[in-house]
Amino acid sequence: MTVLTPAARTVARRTVFWVAAATFVVLIGLLMMAMAGSSAESERLAPSSAAPAGARAVTEVLRDNGIEVVEAESLAEVRDTLDGSRSGGSTLLVHDVRGILEGDRLQELAQLGDRLVLLEPDFAALDALAPALALAGSVEGPLDAECSLRAALNAGTVTGDGQGYRVIDADANATACFGSGDDIFSLVELAERDRSVTVLGATAALTNELVAAEGNAALALTLLGERPTLVWYVPGPADLPASDAPITAYLPHWVSVISIALLAVGIAAAFWRGRRLGPLVVEQLPVVVPSGEVTEGRARLYERNATRLHAIDSLRIATIERLARRCGLPRTATVDEVAAAVAAIAGRPIAHVRAALVDSVPGNDAELVRLSDELLRLEDAVERALGGPRAERGSPASGHGSPVARSSGASTSPTGKARRNARNDGSFDERHAPDERNTPDHG
Amino acid sequence: MAVSGWLVLLVAAGIVPVVLLDAPVVLWWWLLGVVVLIAIDLLLAASPRALRFERELPARTRLGESVTARLLITNPARRTLRGVVRDAWQPSAGALRTRHRITVPAGERRAVETQLRPFRRGERRAEHVTVRSFGPLRLAARQATVAVTGALRVLPPFASRKHLPSRLARLRELDGRTSVMIRGQGTEFDSLREYVRGDDVRSIDWRATARRTDPTGAQKLVVRTWRPERDRRVVIVVDTGRLSAARVGDEPRIDTAFESSLLLGALASHAGDRVDLVMVDRRVRGRVQGATGAELLARMVEAMTPVEPELIETDWAAVPGIVRSVTTQRALVVLLTTIDGVGSSRSLLSVLPQLTEKHLVMVASVSDPAEVEAARQRGDAREVYRAAAAERSLLDAGRVAAAINRLGGEVVLGAPSELPPAVADRYLALKAAGRL
Repeated sequence: MTVLTPAARTVARRTVFWVAAATFVVLIGLLMMAMAGSSAESERLAPSSAAPAGARAVTEVLRDNGIEVVEAESLAEVRDTLDGSRSGGSTLLVHDVRGILEGDRLQELAQLGDRLVLLEPDFAALDALAPALALAGSVEGPLDAECSLRAALNAGTVTGDGQGYRVIDADANATACFGSGDDIFSLVELAERDRSVTVLGATAALTNELVAAEGNAALALTLLGERPTLVWYVPGPADLPASDAPITAYLPHWVSVISIALLAVGIAAAFWRGRRLGPLVVEQLPVVVPSGEVTEGRARLYERNATRLHAIDSLRIATIERLARRCGLPRTATVDEVAAAVAAIAGRPIAHVRAALVDSVPGNDAELVRLSDELLRLEDAVERALGGPRAERGSPASGHGSPVARSSGASTSPTGKARRNARNDGSFDERHAPDERNTPDHG
Repeated sequence: MAVSGWLVLLVAAGIVPVVLLDAPVVLWWWLLGVVVLIAIDLLLAASPRALRFERELPARTRLGESVTARLLITNPARRTLRGVVRDAWQPSAGALRTRHRITVPAGERRAVETQLRPFRRGERRAEHVTVRSFGPLRLAARQATVAVTGALRVLPPFASRKHLPSRLARLRELDGRTSVMIRGQGTEFDSLREYVRGDDVRSIDWRATARRTDPTGAQKLVVRTWRPERDRRVVIVVDTGRLSAARVGDEPRIDTAFESSLLLGALASHAGDRVDLVMVDRRVRGRVQGATGAELLARMVEAMTPVEPELIETDWAAVPGIVRSVTTQRALVVLLTTIDGVGSSRSLLSVLPQLTEKHLVMVASVSDPAEVEAARQRGDAREVYRAAAAERSLLDAGRVAAAINRLGGEVVLGAPSELPPAVADRYLALKAAGRL
């Protein structure tokens, strides 16, 4: 007895390679994710990003110069850092790259720190923190200092790509540098009683890519390295406005456990129903060829190409052959002879019979149906004139050379004829024919 | 391995203590317990691999009859086997129920019976037996599939044998008739007997009458009697090419051809003729030669059983050679094929003269009653087009039949249920006319 189901040991041996391969692939994937994760922060001016658009160069140089650079992602972190920062104060750099900060939090930010540097502040931030400034479109190209600010003077010329600002409050104590004409400036310092807010629009100068060009490095180091501590604040998801309490707070705490239990039930049920009771038994099945498909295909061809003459000719040839046999004419009889015989037997005008059998050409489908009905009626009339259904041709034993094709056809003729009689019963009149024809499911 | 529905219930029951005790950790202990129970159940289940199987089934059956296939399962191990057995038969073997609950105590043997009602001719096979053996807790089972092959030959049904008694009666009527009824070249002289009133005077044998001297002195007339010719050859050629695959009604043409040849074979062997059967398309698919009496039918159905239609054109050019290899005498060659149209029957028509030159040829073909019906159906335009196409097909078949007649062959057409008796009747007619 050959056991077809492999033993557990065989299955283990066969699958060990694939298990190992899958584990290997997963490990490689995890490893690559871990490696990529360290440099994955490709956000603009991210303080720890070494990408061209990052700002790691600036923070590293600042650290080398003894300045404590703290990266913060939430307002709480900022508050903690500022509270515990060293004496001598600190610089708070705010770069809201994702546009997270809103009203309340901006107000709170305004109270924190006495030296604020805003990188590319948007409208809301300007409104809350530096209401004397307004956005003035983007700026490109190198810019000269042209002011008395120490950082600007140190730098001289910087890469000016970034945002420009305009001072709209003439009373404000504002120092504007790096003008690009039309009263647009890329660095503005607003000094108030005990604090200062510096708005830097030319942020391209801080990127790893361009920090070494022009006087960019001097600008960055002077601006950010003034105090011993620099808090680089990039608002993160924690600063989003707090939503309502999660839905789980309203549910009993065993609900999550039950969902795990239901998962276990589902897995058990899958194993219960999914295990087949042995493999299928295959079998070669025979070809199925429906015999009527040639006829059906030919019928559809006639119909699609509207070959009415061709179709009616097939019907006519068959009808003439049957009529000739019924009238006792030889196989060699011509159509004219058949028409004459039929006209005489059925008592109809010969022109009428000839029209049905040969002459008329159907112009549309309705005429085609009418002609075919006419042929049936003609056969019927001959049948009736000769008295009752034709006797069945003798048993198949009757002589050689008899076309038994007909005899087999004739065997079904009595029923066919009965049906035709029923159809034409009482409606042999021409006038009724169209009504009869229009019933679609006739017969 | 397999698990039962009880296991699913058991896992689901774990929710109750979790909710009642209100401690999530209970779930993990519960699941651990379930795993331990599964392991225990698996260890205590009887091994399905150790079982021994034997099949008891009839070698052959007729299509449409049902048989019982027995599977004997011996359990040589020391544990009782409780579980489910599946006897895997091919779908067309028509097994009513393939799964059986079974308990086989240690060291004992039990039988599993599967009712089969095959719905296709040919060899129906059982490939394997699958056993699922549950442990005492009915939670988990060990499962194994064992190759236990079995085969059942399903013979053609020979439904047309219901026509046989009436044809045999007709055959007996031919016996002993006087020449007035059936005189022909082929009938054989049988015996002489005394004239009784009603005998044809032309069959009086005057010489025998003169030779006869009656002790009483009264002169009695003697007539000759005849009997149908015997020991003629009948060669049945079944076309298994692509045309025989078509289904007419609910039956492939080839099955109708088999029915016809079985009826003809039975009738002709009763009439004392020798019957040979060849099934051919591009090569010979089956052949029965030199069998007589009851053996003939048995061998014919055996030969027909595995033959299925091939989707290739039949090589008619080879058929005269095949017939010559069967017999060199004059014979009745019955070609069971399809007369469809001039195109597909051209090769048949081209070799027919070679056969008719020496033999009497009968061409039998299944005609489609649906086509005749469609030719009468003329309600709307669509039906008229179909009627025209059907008439065209009938005309084509009629032309081929006429061509075969001109070449000296006989044509028998009939619907699937009518063809076998029609072929038998034509054979009787030819025999009565002494044309064999």
